[in-house]
Amino acid sequence: MTGDPSNDREKETMSTASEITPTYELREASRSYGDGPTRVVALDALDLTIKRGEFVAVFGPSGSGKTTLLQLLGALDRPSGGSIQFEGQPLEELGDLALSELRLRAMGFVFQQFNLIPTLTAAENVEAALAPLAISRLERREKAAEHLEAVGLAPRAEHLPTQLSGGEQQRVAIARALSRSPRVVVADEPTGNLDSGNGEMVMELLARLHGELEITLILVTHDEWIAERADRVLRLADGRLVNDSAGQAAEEVAR
Amino acid sequence: MFYIRYLGAELRRRPGRTALTALGLAVGVGLVVVVGALSKGLDDAQAAVLEPLTGVGTDISVSRPLSVADDDGSGGAFGQLLPREQRQLQRENREHNREFNFAELGEPGERFAEDSFLSTQLSFPASEAAKIRALDGAEDAAATLTLNATHVEGVVPEGGAPPLGGPGAHAPGGGGFGAGGGFEFESVSVSGVDVRKPALAVVTPDQVTQGRYLSEAPKRARGEAVVDLAFARQNEIEVGEETEVAGEKFEVVGVASAPLGGDASDVYVELGQLQDLWDREGRINAIQVRAESADVVAGLEDEIVAQLEGADVVTAADLADRVGGSLADADDLSSKLGTVLAIVALLAAFLIATLLTLSSVQKRTRELGTLKALGWRQRLVVRQVTGESLVQGVLGGLLGAALGVGAAAIIDAIGPTLQASVEGQAAGGGGDPFASAFGQGNVAAGSTDVVLGAPVDVGLLALAVGLAIVGGLLAGAAGGLRAARLRPAEALRSAE
Repeated sequence: MTGDPSNDREKETMSTASEITPTYELREASRSYGDGPTRVVALDALDLTIKRGEFVAVFGPSGSGKTTLLQLLGALDRPSGGSIQFEGQPLEELGDLALSELRLRAMGFVFQQFNLIPTLTAAENVEAALAPLAISRLERREKAAEHLEAVGLAPRAEHLPTQLSGGEQQRVAIARALSRSPRVVVADEPTGNLDSGNGEMVMELLARLHGELEITLILVTHDEWIAERADRVLRLADGRLVNDSAGQAAEEVAR
Repeated sequence: MFYIRYLGAELRRRPGRTALTALGLAVGVGLVVVVGALSKGLDDAQAAVLEPLTGVGTDISVSRPLSVADDDGSGGAFGQLLPREQRQLQRENREHNREFNFAELGEPGERFAEDSFLSTQLSFPASEAAKIRALDGAEDAAATLTLNATHVEGVVPEGGAPPLGGPGAHAPGGGGFGAGGGFEFESVSVSGVDVRKPALAVVTPDQVTQGRYLSEAPKRARGEAVVDLAFARQNEIEVGEETEVAGEKFEVVGVASAPLGGDASDVYVELGQLQDLWDREGRINAIQVRAESADVVAGLEDEIVAQLEGADVVTAADLADRVGGSLADADDLSSKLGTVLAIVALLAAFLIATLLTLSSVQKRTRELGTLKALGWRQRLVVRQVTGESLVQGVLGGLLGAALGVGAAAIIDAIGPTLQASVEGQAAGGGGDPFASAFGQGNVAAGSTDVVLGAPVDVGLLALAVGLAIVGGLLAGAAGGLRAARLRPAEALRSAE
């Protein structure tokens, strides 16, 4: 978390550059499931601002609400209380179709289980993300090839997920997430199912792409070493934000 | 289209599920095809039996049978007839009522031959046919006269001989001459047909299997005869040869195949000539009526009964009801059990397809949730799931049609024979020996074997494929509904 000073400085420059338009603004955002005595509060009145281009790592034990937070930030779900603004647009006011459209236009997802479609080849999996867009088949294929190339999997394009290693599958998933040039990539424990070598390679890739593409990267993880690569670390417990490195860094700077 | 590629990949790379769903539907619709084909085959078999039975164009047959006063089913004797009817019948058969006097035939020891006609039905004027033709709903009517021509020959015995009393002594159908022994007795049923209306006649051109039908012009038809196949075989008569009826020679121009349950006289000749031979001009004893449509048959039947006193009216439907035997049983079976079986199989197939689709959607929760997370609109996801089921339905339909065609071909190859039997007597009572069903000929009672086929037509195959598609759509709708309810957040669920 402390990192070397040069790295810190670099991050600092990047966040200042995109400070003008915050990507997310959460105001007392809550998400609870069920009603009455069985009501479970997964996220409890969270206040949070995420700047454009930030690389945010979210830590927390199981049940701390980090996946719920990721669902909300990924526009996969709506808050049951409070407000979440994405680029100034309150998500709680959007319907299913609008959320779907928002995900299509602005978000990319990377999952712990890779979530590749098992019956489709690597290239087709990338194309699946492009299918709802009104682009030609040729363009779709070119884009898919290009993004597989970017994650170093061009030779594996025609392989089915079962014919790929875990690391390769996750790289396909990253290619898929990035193929639509999203402004935000939401990653749910992307290294959770990988051995350390593959995990490191995937993180390497994510960090590099984040740097190159200036996307906002929000990543839930258990791996402490990932925090070192993140601009900002959030720690959740029992649905509350218990630690925010942005505040800490500010404190540290103040000290 | 990417969606189609995805759909193809799903079906191709999950061959087990695809095959299972398609096969389930295929078995269901295959059964429908087989049951449908069998049912059609049975209908065809029944039609094959009934077609000659009902005559080509005859809807109603009118005759005036003698009613038996005490219908106890013992059958047979004239003694049971009402006195008035006995008188009428005696009038019809006045020749026969003569005392059979051997003295008139010749000296004892001389050969003799005697021809006469015997009618077991009451005759009526031919004008009745015109009256019936004029009734509402009647399209046409043709007159027929059917008689038994009896031929007795032998040697005049010495001294007395057993008296030949009433016509009752002559059982229709011929046979020996009782105790006489030295006589030959022959009885030939002969029908006089209106050659101008061959389609309505008791023998139709369609029934002629060798030679030709009677000439259409009554004058030219005189001297011509069509003989029944069984009669021709029995008497070794061929087309072009001569046969004798009541001492008159006729040229056999054709041989007709006796229809099961229909009228089967031994010989068919021109009506006017038979009337002349019988020496009763303008008398007939049966009318074949064609109705304008099937709907008016019942009404027409009532009108005819009111019009012609003592008329016995038999409709084609009455005859059809009398077809029995294993054919009728099988038809019954196919229409009841077969249909139930097909419906059960189809429902089971639909259920299997639906459950498999639901289970597939369940298993693909994460996959479908991921698609939603990737921004696939609800509609696209539902379309994908439904599309897969639809294609499985089409596959199942084609496979089922193939299964059905195969099973039908096997049935055709085996060619099971069914027996169709027809009772010779008209319905009602224990059997009225004088009330033959159509006309007065010997109704060809008995049974016939019909080979059962299982014809599969395009309509049936289209129905099969259509049903399978319906099954696929049902399964797809169920799967699609479940997929629609999936929240995109499901994609992340497993991480929690």
